[in-house]
Parts: sequence; structure tokens; C-alpha cells
Amino acid sequence: MSAMDPTEIFRQEASELFEVLEGALLDLGQRPDDRELVDSAFRALHTIKGSGAMFGFDKVAAFTHEFETAFDRVRKGEIKPTQELISVALAAKDYIRALIEDPQSTDDIIGEAILDDLKRFVFPDQAAAPVAEMVAPPLVPVESKQAGWHLYLEFESHILRNGSNPLDLLEDLCKLGPCFVVPVTDGIPFLDEMEPEDCYLKWDVKLHAACDKDAIDDVFMFVSDEMKLTLSPLAHVEAPAPAPLFQLLDEEPAPMAAAPAPPVEAAAAPVAEQAVPKVEPKSEPKPEPKLEAKRDDRGIATVRVQAERLDELMDRVGELVIAQARLTQLASSGSDLSIKMIAEEIERLASSLRDTTMGARMVPIGSLFGRFRRLIHDLSRGLSKPVEFVTTGEDTELDKTMIECLADPLVHLIRNAIDHGIEDTATRSANGKTEQGRIELAAVHSGAQVLVTVKDNGGGLNTARIRAKAEEQGLIAAGAVLTDHEIHQFLFHPGFSTAQTISALSGRGVGMDVVKRTIENMRGSIDLSTRPGQGTTVTLRLPLTLAIIEGLLIRVGEGRYIIPLSAVEECIELTAEDERSRGRNFLNVRGNLVPFLRLREIMNASGAPDRHQKTIIISTGDTHVGLVADQIIGNHQTVIKSLSKLHSDVTMFSGATILGDGTAALILDVAQLVALAQSKVEKQHISEAA
Amino acid sequence: MNDGLAGERQADAMQVVMIGLGEEKFALDAGLVREIIDPVPVTKVAGARAFVPSVINVRGNVIPLADLRIRFGMPQLDDTAETRIVVIELDLDGEPVLVGVTADKVYEVTEISQTDVQQTPRVGMHWKPEFIRFIAKWREEFVIVPNMERILN
Amino acid sequence: MATILTVDDSPSIRQMIKVVLEPAGHNVIEAGDGAQGLAKAQAGKLDLVITDLNMPVMNGLELIRALRKLPSAVGMPIVFLTTESNDTVKQEAKSAGATGWITKPFKPEQLLAVVGKLVRA
Repeated sequence: MSAMDPTEIFRQEASELFEVLEGALLDLGQRPDDRELVDSAFRALHTIKGSGAMFGFDKVAAFTHEFETAFDRVRKGEIKPTQELISVALAAKDYIRALIEDPQSTDDIIGEAILDDLKRFVFPDQAAAPVAEMVAPPLVPVESKQAGWHLYLEFESHILRNGSNPLDLLEDLCKLGPCFVVPVTDGIPFLDEMEPEDCYLKWDVKLHAACDKDAIDDVFMFVSDEMKLTLSPLAHVEAPAPAPLFQLLDEEPAPMAAAPAPPVEAAAAPVAEQAVPKVEPKSEPKPEPKLEAKRDDRGIATVRVQAERLDELMDRVGELVIAQARLTQLASSGSDLSIKMIAEEIERLASSLRDTTMGARMVPIGSLFGRFRRLIHDLSRGLSKPVEFVTTGEDTELDKTMIECLADPLVHLIRNAIDHGIEDTATRSANGKTEQGRIELAAVHSGAQVLVTVKDNGGGLNTARIRAKAEEQGLIAAGAVLTDHEIHQFLFHPGFSTAQTISALSGRGVGMDVVKRTIENMRGSIDLSTRPGQGTTVTLRLPLTLAIIEGLLIRVGEGRYIIPLSAVEECIELTAEDERSRGRNFLNVRGNLVPFLRLREIMNASGAPDRHQKTIIISTGDTHVGLVADQIIGNHQTVIKSLSKLHSDVTMFSGATILGDGTAALILDVAQLVALAQSKVEKQHISEAA
Repeated sequence: MNDGLAGERQADAMQVVMIGLGEEKFALDAGLVREIIDPVPVTKVAGARAFVPSVINVRGNVIPLADLRIRFGMPQLDDTAETRIVVIELDLDGEPVLVGVTADKVYEVTEISQTDVQQTPRVGMHWKPEFIRFIAKWREEFVIVPNMERILN
Repeated sequence: MATILTVDDSPSIRQMIKVVLEPAGHNVIEAGDGAQGLAKAQAGKLDLVITDLNMPVMNGLELIRALRKLPSAVGMPIVFLTTESNDTVKQEAKSAGATGWITKPFKPEQLLAVVGKLVRA
């Protein structure tokens, strides 16, 4: 057991929580009514407070407690999270961070000032009201001078499975004082209907002890929401039973034995139970109904589901699609018409289930957009470039996994837009533009894709400089004829940067090549367009989901591979002329020269090639490449499985899937194959030029 | 108290799955082993490193199939009736990874004790010492306890 | 004497639980995340699991759900650690199959009280 410093552990934990808190607060400025944000901020605060106290950060715990108390009014919906309140809350967050990371730098006076500010916003009517009053709810006075309590206990049937034991609880109850316990057996079903792990017994208990109600609640603390507990003071009239009244039997009598009632009566009992509820004493109800009512108010329009359950559901659907593919294969090889019909029916159902499930995984992209406001705010101040940030299409939905993957690329693009795109205020005024720059982040549906654009109204790309840099790096020959668009593509080359001064903000960590790769890993594409003096727009095209795609199943030698159908342009047969032209890497497609790759060579296929080789033309953006295979088998619903770390060095495949016969097939990485074809073409150019 | 948790208290005993590769016997830490299955059709991965040449489908997961024989410079035998795939779970750079390992034979699940452990001999070995955690004795034979993380990284 | 598994990514919390429960005569086993915890639970019979909720690899809720699927864990008490005083998390964990909870920060006697509630000699 490593003896890690607990303080250090707490520090790490806290720094993660601060990020959560800050994100939630910033988003809250945008969506003040989002309960989830309020809750997440509150939870972060709560954890900081709890762990802080655990590890001796008393000042942190005390300050956070006040912060939390103030924020509780927001949580309860009594106060709106205004921009001013959020600014103060951010300051409070920074103060707690300082208390943890650099306590020397903090001053109690600052903390008090922040708290005063907080209170001013939160308790406007009672400026700086003593917070402590809010904390302790007045306890319901308990009559302690009574004979005891009458309890009626009814547990939910699953209680035993979750590790609670009613007998232990009754035992704990007996510790409070003498108890008279009567089991109520009318809930016991017939033997053949009995679930051995369910609890059917209920209990009627008279506790002859003048204890607090709290003491009883303590006994049932863990099961209070899984039981009906009716509690009423024991009337004095009732003669205290002779002590020690009833020692709970260690071994519970077998439930059936304890119910000697004739079956007819037992069957009738549950009905009677429903009609006339067990003597419901006029006891004060627990404060739970309130909670319940609140929940009802929120309606049934949405149900919150945990993300991992959705992942599980998607996995199951994936397995179903695979099993269905096997069924279809089996059915089509036989001659039984009815099986074929069932297979078709299941195929239809599986595909609609797939669509529904994928729909349930969709998350509006707005949750991501919100995160960039602090980034823009900070960058714009750091670089002294005032920037207006506009977002549109927040409602556009994308698979939740993709939203997570998009965060880093967008951070990079936005950083670039401010740092390199937007000019400084002097330049802007000199060019007759508004001093304040503008960055637009937009998302929009386009067929089966989502387009995400980052648009700035800055100076635009400096094509001449990119070209000069490309020549300097030997990417193109001096004087080569290239379109502006082709020149701009060099920005995506690894290690390519034209920024003359690397600022503190840009030019570190990921480059545009990484952004491009991340997007392509999501089976998306990236494109740039620019107008000198008017700005640059980066467009990301993304598929709607990552989990299941339409694929084209092909055979190369003995291996079978999947090509994402979205990349397939057409399939043609390799002509005899093309066949003869070994060594050359071009194909004549209606007058256009298209480079092609022989997959047999790339995959080291064994065995003799089929006589009629097929060519699949694939494309990324404007680039077309032909892939030569032995056979095109057909369309395939492809459930994408990622390749493990041990194959992370293999770039030609983007993943794998499972075919109808249960074998694995690899999914070709279109972008990589296109790049491979192009590098071959370039090599050929060079060797021909030589 | 029970035996399954013995590893917690008795650090010197180790549950292992004894497998045969060629002429050698290897003891895989039983804590790593998830299941042992019959051979399944493999899918070759072009461009992959020689010791992880293919992937297989194990209960709907596509996992790499490793061939330790290549790592230890041993001849590859064709599958026989005794060939098995041992599915193990490794921690590679903090991520749990399932890997299938081809075994020419699986003997038994047994316990070796650290007192049987021999220091890795430096001489007379035709494989890299860093691939071996230690050598233990089992039924009067020397068996190799391989360092799977090292071998597969 | 009971066999108790403590699952927490913070070694200091695990150590604290061990230090409190071992002198009380319990055998304490440790795991650093939910997945390890599940593996240890599969390895042998436990009398109680004390788990944190926020953990890497497999969080407490996932662990609780996974444990409840084990035939050997039917009726086994599972306690989670929480810093929450609100009911949301508790209800979620309870519906996942937890038996009870301990609110952080806790004192040794509070831990012993909860363990005493759920583990009978």
C-alpha cells in the first residue's frame, strides 16, 4: 500500500472539480434555467466541501460551506443566476482554488468580501443576512414523555436482495427498548408463486420506550425509501406489555408455517388490504411526499438516462444487428420461405431499432459550444482583440461520443481564429472594419451529415506566405502551378506553421494536422475557405454517428474488408487495358486519370487473383482513388468495433466489425488509403521527372 | 474466509494457468486470464507487428490474437486438437486490453509458490530476459512466468 | 470477523477504513477502482463492500450494478461513500442496489456504526 500524501490526492481531486464548477457556472450564464447545470455546480461545491473537511482544509470547507449555502438558493429556484452573480461565483471559485493551491496568497478579507458580494446577490432583501440561520432547519419538537411508539413496517419485496435484512433492523429496534413484534403474513403468496428472494412479511411493532423519533428514523435510515413506515405515539391507555416482552427469535419461522390461515382466506387477503389500508394512524407524514410532488411537476416528457446505459443499449443493438446478419445469411442459403420471411421481418425491426437507439444517443451540440465562451473571453483579453462570439444551431444533434471528440479540435480552430485570423484593432480600423472582431460557431444538418463551421471576419489566409513556406519545406517545387485551394491544404501537413511569431496561445501542442486526423478518425472531413481581408471559414463535415455505418463488403484474396459506403463513388470493372498497365498507377475513368491501389498487394493476399478484378472508386473531398479488389460482395450493416492498442500502429484500418458468419473483418481507413495512393503518385512523378 | 482471496494474504503463492508453447511450458498469472476457448477463425491484419498478426471475434468483441512463439523465436506449429486460445486482460498504459494468446496446449490451473522461484538465469537462454518475470519449478520441470505487459508492448 | 472490501481510488481513504476496521476484527481487502473491486468480489465471498462512487475505470454505481448481478453477491450489503447530503445520488445508488451509505467526512465511530448495522456476528 503506497503511502500517498492525502493532501496531494485532495489537491488533484479539487483541481478537476474546479473545472467542472467553472464550466457549469459559465454555461449557466447562457442557460440560467438549466437545472442540470445548477445541480452539477452544486455537486462540485459539495464535494470540495466534503473532501476539504476530510483532509483538514478547514478554511476551504468553511468558505465553501457559505458559498454552497448561498448557491442553494439558486438551486431551489429562489434566485436567478444573473451574470453578476455568476461573476462573483467565479471569483469565489478562484478564491477556493487559491486557498488550496497557494494559501499564502490569500487573505481572509478578500474571502469575506466575496462572500458579502455573494450574499448581496442571493439575499437581496436582507443584506448579508446571517447565513447560519439558513442552515439548520428547525427540528420538529418531539414529545418525549410518551409511552412509546406504534410502528407498522412494510418493506418493498426486493429489500433482501440489496443486502438489507429486516430481522437485523428489528433487532436494532429492540435495542431501543422492549418491543412487541407481530409479523403480518397476509402478503405471502402461494408456494408456486413465491420468489425465494423476495420479502413478503410485514410487521406490526409496539416499542415501549420513550425514545426520539430520530432514533427510530436512524434504524431505518438506509431503507426509508424502500418501505412504508407508519409511526404513531403509543397511547397511554395501552398497558405496557410485560418486559422483556418479545425477544426476537433468532431463526425466523418459515413464512408458510407462520401463516396458518386457510388458502381461501389468504387469497382474499390482498384484496382486502387494498380496499382498507392498514390502520393508517394520524401520524405526521415524512417530508417525502413533497419531493415526490416536485418530481411529478417536471412531467414525463423526458427521462434522464445514464450515458453508460445508452452505450450498453447500443452494444446490444450492435450484437443484434450482427446476429440478424447471420440469420439472413442462413435464411438465404436455405429454401424455407417462412424462415426467409421471418429473417426479413427481423432485419426490418433490427434496422428500425438501430435508428431509434442512435436517436436516443443524440445530444445537442450547444452543450459543447457553451464551453468556448470562457476560452474566447480569455483569449480576447489576453491578445487585446475584442471579439464578439456568436453561436447558431445549438440544437443540432450529434452522437454524444462525437461531441466529446470534437472539443479539442474546436478549441484549436477557435484559438487559431482569434490568434491568427482576427487582426489587431489598429489594423482593423485602418482597413475600415469594426474594431471588434467576430467569430461564428455554427452547426447545421446536411443530409446524413452535420456541418460545423468556425468562421472569423479577420484578414483571411495569406496564400502567398503559405506557398512560400511550402516551397521552403520542399513540399512543392518553386513555380509549380497550384490553385489557392490546393495551397491551403498544406496547412494540414504535420509540422506546418506559418505563424511568424509563435504566441503563447497558439503554436503549441496540437496542430492543424492533428485536428484533421481527429476529424477523419470520426469519419469526417475538414475544409477551409478564405477571402482575403474578409475572413476564413473552416468547415467540419461529420457523420451523424460513430457506432454503426453502411459499408461495402469486399473480398481481397481470402480476406474480407469493409469500405464505408459514404466514401464509395462507384464500382467499375478493371479493363484489360488497365490490367496490362502494370507499374502505372492510373486508371482512366471517363477521361479522368484516377490513381489506384491494388489491395491484393497492400494486404499481402495469397492465392490466385480473380480473373475479373473490380475497382471501387472512393473519394475524400475532391480526391478520387480506385481500390482494386477480387470481389464486391455487397452492402453490409457495419457495427464498428475499435481495434485494440496493440494494433494502434496499423493505420490502414479504422476499425473492425463482425460478419454474419462470426468472423472479424477489418474496416478500411479511406483517408489513409487516399494519402497512400497520392504518395505513390508523387513518387512516380519524381521518378518520371528524374 | 475463503481461498479465492488467498492472494491477498499469502503473497508467496500464485495461481497460474499452465500452457505449453512448443517444447516449453509457461505459467500465466491466473489473475490475467479471462477465459480459454477453442480456436476460432482468425482475420489477418496487414501491416501489424509479427507477434500480433491477427484479430479474432470473442463474444462480439474484436480482440488481437498474439503469438508468443514468434516473440520467443520458436517455430510455429499448425493447430492441433490441443490448441487453445487463452484470453487474458492486460493493463497497457493504464488501459485494460483483452488479448488472445495461442497456446499449443493448456495443462491445468495450478498454484506455484514463490519459494519455487528461480532467479532468471542469464546464460543458456535464447530469449530476452526482460520478457521473463521469473522461472518457477512445477512437477520437477522449469516453467517460465512471462512478463506479458513487456512482451506485448 | 467479516471480510470487507473497500473500493476507492484514494489510497488515503482506503487506508483510513482499514485502520478503523482491522482492529475491530475484520479482514479488509482493498481495490483502487470498480473493475478491480469487481474482480476481487468475483474471487471470493465477501460480507460487505464499501465503495466510493466517483472512481476511474468503473465507477461506484457501475460496480454496485455489476455486483448485484453476481449470484454470490445476492443479499450482500453494499455501502457507498458520498459527500452528498441531497437525496439524488443516494436514490440513484440505492436503485442500483446499494444497501446504505456513509457520508464523508466521517469519523471512525460512524464507520463502525454503519458496519455494525449491516454485518452481524
